[in-house]
Amino acid sequence: MSSWLAEASAIFAKDWRAEARNLYALNTLGLFAVTTLVLVSVGLGPMGVTAAGAQVLPFLLWIVLLFATSAGLPRAFVQEEETHTATALRLAARPSAVFWGKLAFSLSLTWALEALVAPLFLAMVQLSVKSPGLFVVGLVAGGFGLAAASTVIAAIIAQTRAGSTLFAVLSFPILIPLLLLVVELTRNAVDGATADVVLRQLLLYDGSVAVAGAMLFPAIWNP
Amino acid sequence: MTETLSAPTSTHPSAPWWKTLLAWLLWLWITVVLVGAFTYAPPAKGFVNLYSSRILFFHVPMAWVSFVAFISAGVWSLLFLTRGRRQRHDLAAAVAVELGLIFCILATLTGSVWSRIEWGAFWNWDPRQTSIVLAMVFYAAYLVLRSAIEDDQARARLSASYALLGLVVAPFLYFVLPRISFSLHPAPVVNQSGQVDMESRMLQVLLGGAVGFTALFFWLHDTALRLRLLAARNDDRR
Repeated sequence: MSSWLAEASAIFAKDWRAEARNLYALNTLGLFAVTTLVLVSVGLGPMGVTAAGAQVLPFLLWIVLLFATSAGLPRAFVQEEETHTATALRLAARPSAVFWGKLAFSLSLTWALEALVAPLFLAMVQLSVKSPGLFVVGLVAGGFGLAAASTVIAAIIAQTRAGSTLFAVLSFPILIPLLLLVVELTRNAVDGATADVVLRQLLLYDGSVAVAGAMLFPAIWNP
Repeated sequence: MTETLSAPTSTHPSAPWWKTLLAWLLWLWITVVLVGAFTYAPPAKGFVNLYSSRILFFHVPMAWVSFVAFISAGVWSLLFLTRGRRQRHDLAAAVAVELGLIFCILATLTGSVWSRIEWGAFWNWDPRQTSIVLAMVFYAAYLVLRSAIEDDQARARLSASYALLGLVVAPFLYFVLPRISFSLHPAPVVNQSGQVDMESRMLQVLLGGAVGFTALFFWLHDTALRLRLLAARNDDRR
Protein backbone atom coordinates (compact mmCIF):
# COMPACT_ATOMS: atom_id res chain seq x y z
CA MET A 1 0.00 0.00 0.00
CA SER A 2 2.74 2.40 0.94
CA SER A 3 4.62 1.72 -2.30
CA TRP A 4 1.36 2.33 -4.21
CA LEU A 5 0.94 5.66 -2.42
CA ALA A 6 4.56 6.52 -3.15
CA GLU A 7 4.05 5.79 -6.86
CA ALA A 8 0.85 7.83 -7.07
CA SER A 9 2.31 10.80 -5.22
CA ALA A 10 5.51 10.60 -7.32
CA ILE A 11 3.37 10.95 -10.47
CA PHE A 12 1.46 13.84 -8.92
CA ALA A 13 4.75 15.55 -7.95
CA LYS A 14 6.31 14.85 -11.38
CA ASP A 15 3.36 16.45 -13.16
CA TRP A 16 3.53 19.55 -11.01
CA ARG A 17 7.33 19.77 -11.45
CA ALA A 18 6.89 19.57 -15.23
CA GLU A 19 4.09 22.12 -15.00
CA ALA A 20 6.24 24.51 -12.93
CA ARG A 21 8.85 24.59 -15.74
CA ASN A 22 6.60 26.29 -18.29
CA LEU A 23 3.20 26.73 -16.55
CA TYR A 24 1.60 25.64 -19.82
CA ALA A 25 -1.61 24.09 -18.41
CA LEU A 26 -2.11 26.79 -15.77
CA ASN A 27 -1.65 29.58 -18.32
CA THR A 28 -3.93 27.90 -20.86
CA LEU A 29 -6.69 27.21 -18.35
CA GLY A 30 -6.46 30.58 -16.61
CA LEU A 31 -6.25 32.72 -19.74
CA PHE A 32 -9.00 30.81 -21.50
CA ALA A 33 -11.30 31.21 -18.49
CA VAL A 34 -10.52 34.90 -17.91
CA THR A 35 -10.99 35.76 -21.60
CA THR A 36 -14.38 34.04 -21.67
CA LEU A 37 -15.33 35.70 -18.37
CA VAL A 38 -14.53 39.13 -19.76
CA LEU A 39 -16.57 38.34 -22.87
CA VAL A 40 -19.58 37.23 -20.78
CA SER A 41 -19.28 40.23 -18.49
CA VAL A 42 -18.97 42.77 -21.33
CA GLY A 43 -21.82 41.14 -23.25
CA LEU A 44 -24.27 40.81 -20.37
CA GLY A 45 -23.26 43.62 -17.99
CA PRO A 46 -24.28 43.36 -14.30
CA MET A 47 -26.85 40.66 -15.02
CA GLY A 48 -26.66 39.29 -11.46
CA VAL A 49 -28.94 42.05 -10.17
CA THR A 50 -31.76 41.05 -12.54
CA ALA A 51 -34.27 38.22 -11.94
CA ALA A 52 -33.05 36.25 -14.96
CA GLY A 53 -29.48 36.35 -13.62
CA ALA A 54 -30.00 33.60 -11.05
CA GLN A 55 -31.24 31.28 -13.81
CA VAL A 56 -28.74 32.05 -16.57
CA LEU A 57 -25.48 32.88 -14.81
CA PRO A 58 -24.84 29.54 -12.98
CA PHE A 59 -25.12 27.88 -16.39
CA LEU A 60 -22.62 30.32 -17.95
CA LEU A 61 -20.19 29.83 -15.05
CA TRP A 62 -20.09 26.07 -15.66
CA ILE A 63 -19.82 26.50 -19.41
CA VAL A 64 -16.75 28.68 -18.84
CA LEU A 65 -15.26 26.08 -16.47
CA LEU A 66 -16.07 23.19 -18.82
CA PHE A 67 -14.41 24.76 -21.84
CA ALA A 68 -11.40 25.98 -19.85
CA THR A 69 -10.77 22.51 -18.39
CA SER A 70 -11.27 20.82 -21.76
CA ALA A 71 -8.57 23.10 -23.17
CA GLY A 72 -6.02 22.14 -20.50
CA LEU A 73 -6.76 18.78 -18.85
CA PRO A 74 -6.22 16.46 -21.87
CA ARG A 75 -2.54 17.40 -21.78
CA ALA A 76 -2.07 15.18 -18.71
CA PHE A 77 -1.84 12.17 -21.03
CA VAL A 78 -1.36 13.68 -24.51
CA GLN A 79 1.99 15.10 -23.41
CA GLU A 80 3.16 11.67 -22.18
CA GLU A 81 2.44 10.15 -25.61
CA GLU A 82 3.89 13.10 -27.57
CA THR A 83 7.17 13.12 -25.65
CA HIS A 84 7.28 9.29 -25.69
CA THR A 85 7.44 9.10 -21.91
CA ALA A 86 4.27 6.98 -21.61
CA THR A 87 6.23 3.72 -21.94
CA ALA A 88 8.59 4.74 -19.13
CA LEU A 89 5.58 5.63 -17.02
CA ARG A 90 4.03 2.21 -17.71
CA LEU A 91 7.23 0.56 -16.47
CA ALA A 92 7.65 2.84 -13.48
CA ALA A 93 4.22 2.61 -11.86
CA ARG A 94 1.21 0.33 -11.74
CA PRO A 95 -1.89 1.54 -13.67
CA SER A 96 -3.99 2.39 -10.61
CA ALA A 97 -1.19 4.59 -9.23
CA VAL A 98 -0.93 6.37 -12.61
CA PHE A 99 -4.71 6.94 -12.64
CA TRP A 100 -4.95 8.37 -9.12
CA GLY A 101 -1.72 10.38 -9.51
CA LYS A 102 -2.95 11.95 -12.75
CA LEU A 103 -6.43 12.47 -11.26
CA ALA A 104 -4.90 14.28 -8.26
CA PHE A 105 -2.98 16.56 -10.66
CA SER A 106 -6.06 17.32 -12.77
CA LEU A 107 -8.10 17.86 -9.63
CA SER A 108 -5.65 20.33 -8.12
CA LEU A 109 -5.54 22.18 -11.44
CA THR A 110 -9.36 22.30 -11.67
CA TRP A 111 -9.79 23.48 -8.08
CA ALA A 112 -7.11 26.16 -8.61
CA LEU A 113 -8.97 27.31 -11.72
CA GLU A 114 -12.27 27.43 -9.82
CA ALA A 115 -10.69 29.40 -6.99
CA LEU A 116 -9.59 31.98 -9.57
CA VAL A 117 -12.65 32.03 -11.80
CA ALA A 118 -15.63 31.77 -9.40
CA PRO A 119 -14.95 34.93 -7.32
CA LEU A 120 -14.05 36.91 -10.47
CA PHE A 121 -17.24 35.74 -12.17
CA LEU A 122 -19.47 36.64 -9.19
CA ALA A 123 -17.87 40.08 -8.96
CA MET A 124 -18.00 40.84 -12.69
CA VAL A 125 -21.66 39.96 -13.21
CA GLN A 126 -22.64 41.15 -9.68
CA LEU A 127 -24.28 37.91 -8.70
CA SER A 128 -24.89 37.43 -4.98
CA VAL A 129 -25.03 33.90 -3.58
CA LYS A 130 -27.47 33.25 -0.75
CA SER A 131 -25.88 29.94 0.32
CA PRO A 132 -22.09 30.39 -0.12
CA GLY A 133 -21.41 27.04 1.61
CA LEU A 134 -23.51 25.12 -0.90
CA PHE A 135 -21.93 27.12 -3.74
CA VAL A 136 -18.44 26.03 -2.63
CA VAL A 137 -19.59 22.41 -2.18
CA GLY A 138 -20.91 22.56 -5.77
CA LEU A 139 -17.55 23.83 -7.04
CA VAL A 140 -15.63 21.14 -5.14
CA ALA A 141 -17.90 18.24 -6.14
CA GLY A 142 -18.41 19.50 -9.71
CA GLY A 143 -14.65 20.01 -10.07
CA PHE A 144 -14.03 16.44 -8.92
CA GLY A 145 -16.48 15.06 -11.51
CA LEU A 146 -14.88 17.18 -14.26
CA ALA A 147 -11.38 16.05 -13.32
CA ALA A 148 -12.31 12.35 -12.94
CA ALA A 149 -14.15 12.07 -16.27
CA SER A 150 -11.48 14.17 -18.03
CA THR A 151 -8.68 11.92 -16.74
CA VAL A 152 -10.31 8.78 -18.18
CA ILE A 153 -11.15 10.42 -21.52
CA ALA A 154 -7.67 12.01 -21.75
CA ALA A 155 -6.08 8.56 -21.33
CA ILE A 156 -8.26 7.27 -24.20
CA ILE A 157 -7.71 10.12 -26.66
CA ALA A 158 -3.94 10.27 -26.05
CA GLN A 159 -3.68 6.91 -27.87
CA THR A 160 -5.64 8.02 -30.95
CA ARG A 161 -4.54 9.80 -34.12
CA ALA A 162 -6.71 12.85 -33.50
CA GLY A 163 -5.35 13.54 -29.99
CA SER A 164 -6.81 16.44 -28.06
CA THR A 165 -9.26 17.48 -30.81
CA LEU A 166 -11.21 14.34 -30.00
CA PHE A 167 -11.46 15.27 -26.32
CA ALA A 168 -14.54 17.50 -26.65
CA VAL A 169 -16.37 14.94 -28.80
CA LEU A 170 -15.82 12.11 -26.32
CA SER A 171 -16.08 13.99 -23.04
CA PHE A 172 -19.28 15.99 -23.56
CA PRO A 173 -21.68 13.01 -23.66
CA ILE A 174 -20.07 11.78 -20.42
CA LEU A 175 -20.05 15.24 -18.79
CA ILE A 176 -23.59 16.37 -19.69
CA PRO A 177 -25.28 14.66 -16.68
CA LEU A 178 -22.65 16.20 -14.38
CA LEU A 179 -23.22 19.66 -15.83
CA LEU A 180 -27.01 19.40 -15.52
CA LEU A 181 -26.66 18.35 -11.88
CA VAL A 182 -24.07 20.92 -10.88
CA VAL A 183 -25.87 23.79 -12.63
CA GLU A 184 -29.04 22.87 -10.72
CA LEU A 185 -27.05 22.79 -7.46
CA THR A 186 -25.45 26.17 -8.18
CA ARG A 187 -28.86 27.69 -9.00
CA ASN A 188 -30.16 26.43 -5.65
CA ALA A 189 -27.12 27.92 -3.90
CA VAL A 190 -27.74 31.29 -5.58
CA ASP A 191 -31.44 31.20 -4.60
CA GLY A 192 -30.73 29.97 -1.06
CA ALA A 193 -32.80 26.80 -1.59
CA THR A 194 -31.88 23.37 -0.23
CA ALA A 195 -30.36 20.85 -2.60
CA ASP A 196 -30.07 17.57 -0.69
CA VAL A 197 -31.27 15.30 -3.51
CA VAL A 198 -29.16 17.03 -6.19
CA LEU A 199 -26.09 16.95 -3.96
CA ARG A 200 -26.53 13.23 -3.27
CA GLN A 201 -26.88 12.53 -7.01
CA LEU A 202 -23.84 14.70 -7.77
CA LEU A 203 -21.74 12.80 -5.21
CA LEU A 204 -23.06 9.53 -6.64
CA TYR A 205 -21.98 10.65 -10.14
CA ASP A 206 -18.51 11.58 -8.83
CA GLY A 207 -18.16 8.23 -7.06
CA SER A 208 -19.44 6.22 -10.05
CA VAL A 209 -17.14 7.91 -12.57
CA ALA A 210 -14.10 7.65 -10.29
CA VAL A 211 -14.72 3.96 -9.52
CA ALA A 212 -15.55 3.08 -13.16
CA GLY A 213 -12.48 5.06 -14.28
CA ALA A 214 -10.24 3.23 -11.81
CA MET A 215 -11.62 -0.15 -12.93
CA LEU A 216 -11.36 0.60 -16.66
CA PHE A 217 -8.01 2.35 -16.48
CA PRO A 218 -5.76 -0.78 -16.63
CA ALA A 219 -7.53 -1.79 -19.87
CA ILE A 220 -7.12 1.73 -21.30
CA TRP A 221 -3.53 2.23 -20.18
CA ASN A 222 -1.88 -1.14 -20.93
CA PRO A 223 -1.58 -1.93 -24.65
CA MET B 1 -10.33 -28.31 -59.38
CA THR B 2 -13.89 -28.47 -58.23
CA GLU B 3 -12.65 -28.27 -54.66
CA THR B 4 -10.93 -24.96 -55.24
CA LEU B 5 -13.98 -23.52 -56.99
CA SER B 6 -16.56 -24.56 -54.43
CA ALA B 7 -17.01 -22.20 -51.50
CA PRO B 8 -15.16 -23.64 -48.48
CA THR B 9 -17.71 -23.96 -45.70
CA SER B 10 -15.25 -23.02 -42.98
CA THR B 11 -14.69 -19.48 -44.32
CA HIS B 12 -18.10 -18.84 -45.91
CA PRO B 13 -20.54 -20.46 -43.52
CA SER B 14 -24.12 -20.36 -44.70
CA ALA B 15 -26.84 -19.83 -42.11
CA PRO B 16 -28.14 -23.02 -40.46
CA TRP B 17 -31.70 -24.08 -41.41
CA TRP B 18 -33.26 -22.91 -38.15
CA LYS B 19 -31.91 -19.39 -38.67
CA THR B 20 -33.49 -19.27 -42.12
CA LEU B 21 -36.77 -20.48 -40.63
CA LEU B 22 -36.58 -17.84 -37.88
CA ALA B 23 -35.91 -15.12 -40.48
CA TRP B 24 -39.06 -16.11 -42.39
CA LEU B 25 -41.08 -16.21 -39.16
CA LEU B 26 -39.75 -12.75 -38.34
CA TRP B 27 -40.86 -11.49 -41.77
CA LEU B 28 -44.33 -12.94 -41.16
CA TRP B 29 -44.50 -11.48 -37.64
CA ILE B 30 -43.52 -7.95 -38.77
CA THR B 31 -46.04 -8.14 -41.62
CA VAL B 32 -48.81 -9.05 -39.16
CA VAL B 33 -47.75 -6.15 -36.90
CA LEU B 34 -47.80 -3.72 -39.85
CA VAL B 35 -51.25 -4.83 -40.94
CA GLY B 36 -52.49 -4.88 -37.32
CA ALA B 37 -51.23 -1.33 -36.69
CA PHE B 38 -53.42 0.03 -39.52
CA THR B 39 -56.46 -2.23 -39.38
CA TYR B 40 -56.80 -4.11 -36.06
CA ALA B 41 -55.86 -1.47 -33.44
CA PRO B 42 -58.49 1.27 -32.92
CA PRO B 43 -57.54 4.97 -33.20
CA ALA B 44 -56.73 6.63 -29.84
CA LYS B 45 -59.34 8.83 -28.19
CA GLY B 46 -58.36 12.28 -26.91
CA PHE B 47 -55.71 12.99 -29.56
CA VAL B 48 -55.85 16.04 -31.83
CA ASN B 49 -55.67 13.68 -34.78
CA LEU B 50 -57.17 10.31 -33.80
CA TYR B 51 -55.12 8.39 -36.37
CA SER B 52 -51.78 9.91 -35.30
CA SER B 53 -51.63 7.25 -32.57
CA ARG B 54 -50.77 4.63 -35.21
CA ILE B 55 -47.22 5.99 -35.39
CA LEU B 56 -46.85 4.84 -31.78
CA PHE B 57 -46.74 1.19 -32.91
CA PHE B 58 -43.47 1.97 -34.69
CA HIS B 59 -42.07 4.80 -32.57
CA VAL B 60 -42.16 2.99 -29.20
CA PRO B 61 -40.53 -0.27 -30.45
CA MET B 62 -37.79 1.74 -32.22
CA ALA B 63 -37.02 3.73 -29.06
CA TRP B 64 -37.03 0.45 -27.13
CA VAL B 65 -34.64 -1.19 -29.61
CA SER B 66 -32.22 1.75 -29.41
CA PHE B 67 -32.18 1.14 -25.64
CA VAL B 68 -31.62 -2.62 -26.15
CA ALA B 69 -28.77 -1.82 -28.57
CA PHE B 70 -27.14 0.46 -26.00
CA ILE B 71 -27.29 -2.19 -23.25
CA SER B 72 -26.09 -4.98 -25.55
CA ALA B 73 -23.16 -2.85 -26.76
CA GLY B 74 -22.22 -2.45 -23.08
CA VAL B 75 -22.52 -6.19 -22.42
CA TRP B 76 -20.38 -7.10 -25.46
CA SER B 77 -17.81 -4.49 -24.44
CA LEU B 78 -17.67 -6.00 -20.96
CA LEU B 79 -17.31 -9.49 -22.47
CA PHE B 80 -14.48 -8.20 -24.67
CA LEU B 81 -12.53 -6.81 -21.73
CA THR B 82 -13.15 -9.75 -19.38
CA ARG B 83 -13.28 -12.83 -21.66
CA GLY B 84 -9.97 -13.01 -23.45
CA ARG B 85 -10.38 -9.94 -25.70
CA ARG B 86 -11.97 -11.74 -28.64
CA GLN B 87 -12.49 -9.84 -31.89
CA ARG B 88 -16.03 -11.24 -32.12
CA HIS B 89 -17.13 -9.39 -28.96
CA ASP B 90 -15.56 -6.11 -30.11
CA LEU B 91 -17.24 -6.25 -33.53
CA ALA B 92 -20.54 -7.27 -31.89
CA ALA B 93 -20.43 -4.11 -29.74
CA ALA B 94 -19.59 -1.93 -32.75
CA VAL B 95 -22.41 -3.41 -34.87
CA ALA B 96 -24.86 -2.93 -31.95
CA VAL B 97 -23.92 0.76 -31.76
CA GLU B 98 -24.27 1.24 -35.52
CA LEU B 99 -27.72 -0.39 -35.54
CA GLY B 100 -28.66 1.45 -32.32
CA LEU B 101 -27.84 4.75 -34.02
CA ILE B 102 -30.13 3.91 -36.96
CA PHE B 103 -33.01 2.94 -34.63
CA CYS B 104 -32.34 6.08 -32.55
CA ILE B 105 -32.66 8.28 -35.66
CA LEU B 106 -35.86 6.45 -36.72
CA ALA B 107 -37.37 6.82 -33.22
CA THR B 108 -36.51 10.55 -33.24
CA LEU B 109 -38.02 11.10 -36.70
CA THR B 110 -41.25 9.22 -35.93
CA GLY B 111 -41.50 11.02 -32.57
CA SER B 112 -41.00 14.40 -34.25
CA VAL B 113 -43.73 13.74 -36.81
CA TRP B 114 -46.13 12.78 -34.01
CA SER B 115 -45.03 15.79 -31.93
CA ARG B 116 -45.76 18.13 -34.88
CA ILE B 117 -49.29 16.75 -35.16
CA GLU B 118 -50.15 16.65 -31.46
CA TRP B 119 -48.01 19.38 -29.85
CA GLY B 120 -47.71 21.71 -32.85
CA ALA B 121 -43.90 21.65 -33.13
CA PHE B 122 -41.33 19.15 -34.36
CA TRP B 123 -39.08 19.82 -31.39
CA ASN B 124 -39.57 21.28 -27.90
CA TRP B 125 -36.78 19.73 -25.71
CA ASP B 126 -39.08 17.37 -23.90
CA PRO B 127 -36.95 15.24 -21.47
CA ARG B 128 -37.36 12.20 -23.71
CA GLN B 129 -36.30 14.19 -26.77
CA THR B 130 -33.28 15.45 -24.84
CA SER B 131 -32.29 11.97 -23.70
CA ILE B 132 -32.56 10.48 -27.19
CA VAL B 133 -30.40 13.29 -28.60
CA LEU B 134 -27.79 12.60 -25.92
CA ALA B 135 -27.92 8.89 -26.76
CA MET B 136 -27.33 9.80 -30.42
CA VAL B 137 -24.39 12.04 -29.49
CA PHE B 138 -22.92 9.20 -27.44
CA TYR B 139 -23.33 6.64 -30.27
CA ALA B 140 -21.77 9.09 -32.72
CA ALA B 141 -18.85 9.80 -30.34
CA TYR B 142 -18.24 6.04 -29.99
CA LEU B 143 -18.08 5.65 -33.78
CA VAL B 144 -15.81 8.70 -34.14
CA LEU B 145 -13.48 7.16 -31.55
CA ARG B 146 -13.36 3.88 -33.51
CA SER B 147 -12.56 5.71 -36.73
CA ALA B 148 -9.69 7.58 -35.07
CA ILE B 149 -7.70 4.45 -34.13
CA GLU B 150 -5.95 2.31 -36.74
CA ASP B 151 -4.64 -0.55 -34.64
CA ASP B 152 -7.36 -3.23 -34.22
CA GLN B 153 -6.46 -4.20 -30.67
CA ALA B 154 -6.15 -0.60 -29.44
CA ARG B 155 -9.45 0.31 -31.14
CA ALA B 156 -11.25 -2.58 -29.49
CA ARG B 157 -9.78 -1.96 -26.03
CA LEU B 158 -10.36 1.82 -25.99
CA SER B 159 -13.84 1.79 -27.50
CA ALA B 160 -14.97 -0.98 -25.11
CA SER B 161 -13.76 1.14 -22.18
CA TYR B 162 -15.57 4.19 -23.53
CA ALA B 163 -18.82 2.26 -24.04
CA LEU B 164 -18.72 1.03 -20.45
CA LEU B 165 -18.04 4.53 -19.12
CA GLY B 166 -21.09 5.72 -21.06
CA LEU B 167 -23.16 2.93 -19.59
CA VAL B 168 -22.18 3.98 -16.05
CA VAL B 169 -23.12 7.61 -16.68
CA ALA B 170 -26.38 7.08 -18.63
CA PRO B 171 -28.68 6.30 -15.64
CA PHE B 172 -28.06 9.79 -14.23
CA LEU B 173 -29.89 11.33 -17.17
CA TYR B 174 -32.92 9.27 -16.22
CA PHE B 175 -33.02 10.95 -12.79
CA VAL B 176 -31.99 14.45 -13.82
CA LEU B 177 -33.92 15.26 -16.98
CA PRO B 178 -37.51 14.74 -15.74
CA ARG B 179 -36.78 17.05 -12.80
CA ILE B 180 -35.38 19.99 -14.73
CA SER B 181 -38.09 20.17 -17.39
CA PHE B 182 -41.78 19.39 -17.56
CA SER B 183 -42.73 16.54 -19.87
CA LEU B 184 -45.69 16.44 -22.24
CA HIS B 185 -44.71 12.96 -23.35
CA PRO B 186 -47.45 10.35 -22.85
CA ALA B 187 -46.83 8.02 -19.89
CA PRO B 188 -44.84 4.88 -20.64
CA VAL B 189 -46.84 1.74 -21.42
CA VAL B 190 -46.36 0.58 -17.85
CA ASN B 191 -46.86 3.74 -15.79
CA GLN B 192 -45.58 4.66 -12.33
CA SER B 193 -48.42 2.92 -10.53
CA GLY B 194 -47.38 -0.31 -12.25
CA GLN B 195 -50.66 -0.48 -14.17
CA VAL B 196 -50.96 -1.06 -17.90
CA ASP B 197 -53.21 1.76 -19.04
CA MET B 198 -54.04 0.98 -22.69
CA GLU B 199 -56.82 -0.49 -24.78
CA SER B 200 -56.12 -4.22 -25.15
CA ARG B 201 -56.00 -4.38 -28.99
CA MET B 202 -53.58 -1.42 -29.06
CA LEU B 203 -51.47 -3.10 -26.40
CA GLN B 204 -51.37 -6.37 -28.36
CA VAL B 205 -50.09 -4.60 -31.49
CA LEU B 206 -47.62 -2.50 -29.50
CA LEU B 207 -46.15 -5.48 -27.66
CA GLY B 208 -46.14 -7.46 -30.93
CA GLY B 209 -44.21 -4.57 -32.49
CA ALA B 210 -41.74 -4.45 -29.59
CA VAL B 211 -41.04 -8.20 -29.83
CA GLY B 212 -40.83 -8.04 -33.65
CA PHE B 213 -38.48 -5.07 -33.78
CA THR B 214 -36.27 -6.53 -31.03
CA ALA B 215 -36.01 -9.77 -33.03
CA LEU B 216 -35.33 -7.68 -36.17
CA PHE B 217 -32.48 -5.94 -34.33
CA PHE B 218 -30.88 -9.24 -33.33
CA TRP B 219 -31.34 -10.69 -36.83
CA LEU B 220 -29.74 -7.60 -38.42
CA HIS B 221 -27.03 -7.78 -35.76
CA ASP B 222 -26.26 -11.44 -36.48
CA THR B 223 -26.13 -10.83 -40.24
CA ALA B 224 -23.97 -7.70 -39.98
CA LEU B 225 -21.65 -9.37 -37.48
CA ARG B 226 -21.08 -12.40 -39.72
CA LEU B 227 -20.30 -10.07 -42.63
CA ARG B 228 -17.92 -8.07 -40.47
CA LEU B 229 -16.13 -11.20 -39.24
CA LEU B 230 -15.72 -12.47 -42.81
CA ALA B 231 -14.33 -9.09 -43.89
CA ALA B 232 -11.90 -9.12 -40.95
CA ARG B 233 -10.77 -12.66 -41.84
CA ASN B 234 -10.29 -11.57 -45.44
CA ASP B 235 -8.14 -8.62 -44.32
CA ASP B 236 -5.98 -10.91 -42.19
CA ARG B 237 -5.25 -13.13 -45.19
CA ARG B 238 -3.89 -10.30 -47.32
